[in-house]
Amino acid sequence: MTVALVRLGLVAAVLLAWEVAGRAANPLLAVPPSATLPALRELLLLRSYPDLGASLLVTLREIATAYALAVAVGLAVGGTLGMNRLLGRAYGPMLAALYAVPAVVWYPSLMLFFGLDAASKIAFGFLLGFFPVTLAVLAGIRQVNPHLVTVAKSYGAGPLTVFGRVVLPATLFTLVGGLRTGLALSVIGVIVGEILGSKRGMGALINHAYGLLRTADYVALVLVTLALIVGTDVVAGLVERKARAWSE
Amino acid sequence: MSASPPLIAVEGVGKRYATSSGPIEALQDVSLSVGEGEFCTLIGPSGCGKSTLLGMLGGLTAPDRGRVLVEGRPVTGPDPRRVATVFQDPGLFPWRTALENVEFGLELQGVPAARRRAVATDLLGPLGLAGFAGKYPRELSGGMRQRVAIGRALAIDTKIVLMDEPFGALDEQTRLLMGEWLLEIWRRTKKTVIFVTHSLQEALVLSTRIAVMTARPGRIKSVLELGMGYPRPMESPELVALRAKLWHDIREESLRAMGGDQ
Repeated sequence: MTVALVRLGLVAAVLLAWEVAGRAANPLLAVPPSATLPALRELLLLRSYPDLGASLLVTLREIATAYALAVAVGLAVGGTLGMNRLLGRAYGPMLAALYAVPAVVWYPSLMLFFGLDAASKIAFGFLLGFFPVTLAVLAGIRQVNPHLVTVAKSYGAGPLTVFGRVVLPATLFTLVGGLRTGLALSVIGVIVGEILGSKRGMGALINHAYGLLRTADYVALVLVTLALIVGTDVVAGLVERKARAWSE
Repeated sequence: MSASPPLIAVEGVGKRYATSSGPIEALQDVSLSVGEGEFCTLIGPSGCGKSTLLGMLGGLTAPDRGRVLVEGRPVTGPDPRRVATVFQDPGLFPWRTALENVEFGLELQGVPAARRRAVATDLLGPLGLAGFAGKYPRELSGGMRQRVAIGRALAIDTKIVLMDEPFGALDEQTRLLMGEWLLEIWRRTKKTVIFVTHSLQEALVLSTRIAVMTARPGRIKSVLELGMGYPRPMESPELVALRAKLWHDIREESLRAMGGDQ
């Protein structure tokens, strides 16, 4: 209760500051919340941007594809590096180093390579989501009780069975954290990709409004995108809690 | 020697481990054969290579010299159709219930779900775990966990069960009861058991044969045949005499182990 009040207090303070600053500034460059609300209404009633629904769908589909790829490839790569000591020692540190590179530097080449359509956004979302998933798998495998692996081997488990029956369930606790971070980053990747250059999706709408100095529409679009991102994270958080309770 | 043909033959086996302070000779020229239905116990000072030998029988460790045969065929890796292993640490999967842990080996062998559930459920009764099928390992006592691990090994119904100090982590009373319980299971299932222990009493009460191993490098020092039936009261003159003989051999090796290796 108190937490909620403190939280709302900050939101109210930010809105107030925004209102005051927004009214003082050039209306072309900044809008106060009071001017944003009508724009948001127009947007949600599909008046200012009738293709809002289609754009949301495009973005969601890109996110889903990018994330699915990041999880699949991340599990495979992390699993291989974790299960094979030589490969893990050779490539693990390289992956960690690459993760530290600001991923945006790769985006121009991704656009050149995959074009302006969905493929480059998916590639970028994949690239961002791939690292935390892979590194979480690697870290998880390193803390698996080796005795459980010995037991499974004594029952005839080969490397794939050991991975599926022992390592994955044993790492689930560590893994869900990485999966959630990976989702957040895949979402960021897709949206940043769209904003940096695209013809469809939420990023394209944001770019359009921003480019035409329709600042109120621009802010409304950002708010919708924000809701989308917060929504996915809330869902991911619920799934994470469930998985943690189960694997504890 | 036992009258039945050897189910397990260990022939001139040696093993050396590389450590940071130089190579360690764990086993040297160990030979042993075990017949079907025997309860053969390996006993000896710490670090004498008992567990290494057991690991070779289970296919988890390869010998450097010599060979290990099960049913006449050399062991090249774990063979869950013929050999099951119980470890000192039960090694239960914490995300599986007691029943699901018992089913593990059958699951890997592709036994259909209904069938393996039936087998595992039937095992829980004699394991004294009938009411605990749905419990997770963290909800069970140490003795119960080890019984689940033994159930997991019995479920795949192999001729041979290897047990590496299965009761080593339990308190004395639980340990005695578990010994009685194991004896009953063994007599009913007629399995061949190779059992590693530090406890003279456990060895004397359970075994048909006891192999005493030397201090490192491990060799077989002496083999004790125990012809008498079960149960065996500890105070019977026969057992008291055997205990003195066994202690004589083990004491010698334990002293060497304490004096010789730091």
